[in-house]
Amino acid sequence: MAEKKQQKRAIIDMDIHERVTYDELLPYLDNPWQRYIKDTNWVQEKHLPYPILGAAGLDRADAQVPDGRPAGNDLSFMQQQLLDDVGHEAGILTGAGDPSPSSMNGWYEMAVALATAYNDWQIENWLEKDDRLYGSVHIAAQDPASAVREIERVGSHPKMVQVLLPIDDRPWGDPYYHPIFEAAERHNLVIGMHHQEPPNYYGKFPRYFVEWHSVMPNTHMIQVSSMIFNGVFEKYPNLKLAMIEAGFTYIPAFMKKMDQQYKVLRHEVPWVKRMPSSIVKDHVRVTTQPVDELTRDEFLKFIDLMDSDEIVCFSTDYPHWDYDSPFRALPPLGEELEQKIFAENARKLYPKLPARERKVTQ
Amino acid sequence: MKEVVCKKEELSPGNIMSANVGPIPIVLCRTPDGEFYAFTNKCVHQGAAMSEGVLCGAPAPTDTPGEYNYEKEGEILRCPWHGIEYDIKNEGRMLVDPNRKLGNFNVSFEADNVIVSTKQ
Repeated sequence: MAEKKQQKRAIIDMDIHERVTYDELLPYLDNPWQRYIKDTNWVQEKHLPYPILGAAGLDRADAQVPDGRPAGNDLSFMQQQLLDDVGHEAGILTGAGDPSPSSMNGWYEMAVALATAYNDWQIENWLEKDDRLYGSVHIAAQDPASAVREIERVGSHPKMVQVLLPIDDRPWGDPYYHPIFEAAERHNLVIGMHHQEPPNYYGKFPRYFVEWHSVMPNTHMIQVSSMIFNGVFEKYPNLKLAMIEAGFTYIPAFMKKMDQQYKVLRHEVPWVKRMPSSIVKDHVRVTTQPVDELTRDEFLKFIDLMDSDEIVCFSTDYPHWDYDSPFRALPPLGEELEQKIFAENARKLYPKLPARERKVTQ
Repeated sequence: MKEVVCKKEELSPGNIMSANVGPIPIVLCRTPDGEFYAFTNKCVHQGAAMSEGVLCGAPAPTDTPGEYNYEKEGEILRCPWHGIEYDIKNEGRMLVDPNRKLGNFNVSFEADNVIVSTKQ
């Protein structure tokens, strides 16, 4: 049952995971890819040595589709449980990490085929079936030329708002990947980064899931510093970066840390022309989820330390186990800041989102 | 406020169900020993419906890293979202922070009827 609070403000949710099954992708694949999957029951490699330890694994225990399909696989159930119940104005789809073409450690040709199939499936079954949903362009970033072709192919779709890069063990700021950023900027697409299965302990996995999940912000920091110190934002001044699902409390300390390093080591990266914190404020946005339980005073101190109330954007991570409720996850922050965090910061970030509030349609 | 929420046989040991006491949504739990417990159907963290969670056990606190002593099977209610654990035989207190707990209700019986009432 929807809570009364839902109509109070617009909500733009920056992290919603729709899930495909490999069977559903088959019609969107040509051969030999379709045959390889069918004949060998191929699925993409996974790396985590532990299960996700929520009450029902990766997903909310109440988000499995009633007919038994996995959470996130059915649009009408997602509409009922999330979009209608919460009253979303808009939500951005970020995939479910399986497949995650840019994460593949080999067979890049298959990665290219999967990215193309996924985008077609996403457009047909989600973006064109609900006004509120916006999409991410999946690419095979290991092969930047193919990635650019895919961005050219679907990036101008009116509901594609970002290019998705998973966080594994490739720092994406490397000049090898810059053609992807050039294409994204040209198509008014944000670069969205979301962790996949990064080996975040010295290139391996920690002993426990709680450790892996606790240090996830490190992997996001690696990507932000890679993008900044490789000069991506100097080269592509209109490019924006959305760091999805590491929360925001790490950002103030990291801004200070990068600034201090830049003050003494600028000579190593003379193509970076300004303080990293200033680049963050202009180019990088982060999501609230998974939010740390904070009092209002604590929350406002973090915002104050960032010296900007436009960096933090709301996300639920539906239907995953560490979903954040729009009604309960954040302390009361006052109308102006709540409007920014719940919708306006994201609206400013994504140029292809509607410019003003719309009435929610169902 | 009190309400007949079900017959005893409608909730078998080791299971949970949602119900209402007046306007208040509750989760009714039946432990493997057959006892009934009732709590507000709302996680104190972010408000998820506890009746969508799982009744399970939990590894006991230990001084030995690597040691798992799984105990209290059927006595721990885990939230369907973040998986927070509540000990239903200890007033629905959160295992990780016993100062936080689910709202408690009284459970009584008349013949086969399970009656849940608000605490006085």
